[in-house]
Amino acid sequence: MTVPAPRGADPTEQAAAAMSLRGLVKRFDTKLAVSGVSLEVPAGSFYGLLGPNGAGKTTTLSMAVGLLRPDAGQAVLLGSDVWADPVAAKARLGVLPDGVRLFDRLTGPELLAYHGLLRGMDAATVDQRARELLDVLELGTGNRTLVVDYSAGMRKKIGLACALLHAPRLLVLDEPFEAVDPVSAARIREILQRYVAGGGTVIFSSHVMEVVERLCSHVAILSDGVLRQHGTLDSVRGDSSLEEVFVRVVGGRVSTGSELAWL
Amino acid sequence: MAVGTFVRLKLRLQVNGLRGRPARITIFVLGAVMAGFFAIAGYAIFAIPGVADNARAAAMLLQLGGSALVLGWLFFPLVFFGVDESLDPARFALFPLAHRTLITGLFAAALTGLPALSTLAATAGMVSTAAALGGAFAAVTQLVGILLGLLLCVAVSRAVTSAFATGLRSRRSRDLAVVLFAVMAALLGPLQLALLAGAERADWDAFAVLADVLGWTPFGAPYSLGLEVAGGRLWAVPLKLLIVAATIVVLLVWWGATLEKAMLGSESRGRRGTDREIASPTALLLGRRLPRSRFGALVARERRYWWRETRRRAALITLVVAGFFLPISISVSGGPAGPMAVFVGAIAAIALANQFGYEGSAYSANITAGVPGRVEIHSRAAAHAMFVLPLLLLIALVVGAVSGRPERIAGDLGLLIATYGVGLGLVLPMSVRAAYSLPESTSPFAVSSGGGAAKGLLTVAVMFGALIATVPLQILAFTLGAVWWWIGLPVGIAFGTAAYLIGSGVAAESLDRRMPELLSTVTAGR
Repeated sequence: MTVPAPRGADPTEQAAAAMSLRGLVKRFDTKLAVSGVSLEVPAGSFYGLLGPNGAGKTTTLSMAVGLLRPDAGQAVLLGSDVWADPVAAKARLGVLPDGVRLFDRLTGPELLAYHGLLRGMDAATVDQRARELLDVLELGTGNRTLVVDYSAGMRKKIGLACALLHAPRLLVLDEPFEAVDPVSAARIREILQRYVAGGGTVIFSSHVMEVVERLCSHVAILSDGVLRQHGTLDSVRGDSSLEEVFVRVVGGRVSTGSELAWL
Repeated sequence: MAVGTFVRLKLRLQVNGLRGRPARITIFVLGAVMAGFFAIAGYAIFAIPGVADNARAAAMLLQLGGSALVLGWLFFPLVFFGVDESLDPARFALFPLAHRTLITGLFAAALTGLPALSTLAATAGMVSTAAALGGAFAAVTQLVGILLGLLLCVAVSRAVTSAFATGLRSRRSRDLAVVLFAVMAALLGPLQLALLAGAERADWDAFAVLADVLGWTPFGAPYSLGLEVAGGRLWAVPLKLLIVAATIVVLLVWWGATLEKAMLGSESRGRRGTDREIASPTALLLGRRLPRSRFGALVARERRYWWRETRRRAALITLVVAGFFLPISISVSGGPAGPMAVFVGAIAAIALANQFGYEGSAYSANITAGVPGRVEIHSRAAAHAMFVLPLLLLIALVVGAVSGRPERIAGDLGLLIATYGVGLGLVLPMSVRAAYSLPESTSPFAVSSGGGAAKGLLTVAVMFGALIATVPLQILAFTLGAVWWWIGLPVGIAFGTAAYLIGSGVAAESLDRRMPELLSTVTAGR
């Protein structure tokens, strides 16, 4: 590899990282949203980023994909620094952004065509892949409904289709399963699993333990802007369930049984 | 009690909106200074007839000035400022509030704010005039009058923007709304013509008659109450009170009805079009003529957005109406085309002043795809120009035809294009540097608190900028006379293009450096 490895790191492991975050820091006004997150996402892994609401998951992922400028730190995607060499870093990256704010006054097919052409693909390839994605995700290849009128599950699916269209090697998904019905969630899971099996890398944020436990090879737990634990699923979870580990790490409140007695 | 809650909520939202945001505080202070200036100037003007002890001047000034105020409240929110919807009615849909409570609450909140305060202060000058002319009782009546007048102003602005917004949402009534707005603007036309004609002939009697007629319409009635007392026509007071009160009630009922619709959310447009197989998604997006490239895709998406997004559509419709109405009314009365060109060009360009704010965080898709600033800026301007340039041509043609001076069409078009180019040159860098987030409201006229002042200031700044930048052309057009009719078009195009290229270059460069920062400023809730 031409990318020089940092001191002390094993060069082979370094080359295998699809995403590498080094000391990312972000401060909003007076609040430290993310304080020094460093994380290696190995290529071919299915990485779950867990954390309670407001833990800094979205902020971290936004900095990682070049949507939010960090106050300090570095994000390297597939060997290219996202802030120093954005064109190379973003070329093989697919993103499902926070809350799936898409250009929602387009219809599904139009939105896919837009994303494809924006990525510099030729029209014939865009058409062929877009039709296939619409079909597989059950969005309807002839659907003229505007995306703004889609249901939450359909929005996630069209967002995912946009992120997949240019066949990226790294997928960064912010809450892909939030507010999605079970049928759509199953379809999304299946597609992501196939993508990882084909050598792709997925990192997604969630606060649903079951999904993470079922899908992921690796997990990281973030709370109050600090990375509490990370590693393979088994190493993080140990003997207990992921939920127990999560609550312990995050420091959830223990119920005494006496509060909200009036309910 | 409930009304107090609404007012406190609105004030709290405004204070929180300012906290820790120096830029917004600056804009707020500027807005406050402007409002204060307006209040003092208005007070002085309305108090003059009393000081001069001139009943005739008082009758004209108070009734005409008052009518102008009501008209201002009617049109300015639509064209320039938007309405402060920090209290979005849709947010109250789930509360167990009686319809009446909600309307009174929202109305009271709408009354709380700088515009209402400065209007009240300005019209207070009328009380002093009434006192000077007719003593204490006249003053008290006039005080009631200006209070009612304020209620009327706010009710008019709320009812009209709300109705217009509701009208714009569904496709069918949208066309109706356009027609309605055009008719309203057309009604202004004869009035303005009469005023101009009167001013030219210094025909004060015509003014006096007009003022007295207006005094019997809801526009002037509230502001003439004290004068009627001073003039000894006590019988007129209850009649005028009735006119004003009835108007306010009708407006509030109308507002309530449209609010009800707005609270039910945007009805799905039934655009679940036929689910037939489509040959090609790219053809669907691009149509036949646009290039199958990044630029083509960006232009196509922008073009769709100008029509499908209510805020942008409102901006386009405003431009259409103002673009035809202003130049026609000026040129019919024999005025020069130059100033109106500046105005139309500036209004056209203003639509792009917060172009990134329209789509909010959706812009992240373009950042992730790595669209360079130059392509981004040019494609957006190109899509906008596709709507505006044909419109400018049409305006020049119609104005030439209406004013009976077809030989001036080419020169006027040159001026229009030059000002549009200059406007773009000024607005594009602003759209990158001074973007602000828009609330996710159902109303296309909604701005977050302080946003109205920002929007108004921007408009004024661009108008002045365009005026100053096109002064050489204006002088040229004026001094060259007939020669300008021939060279106006090429010179105007060259001037406009040069200004556009400079401005877009600056904008593109600054966008390349600030993409993530821009994204976070336009993301709602930051």
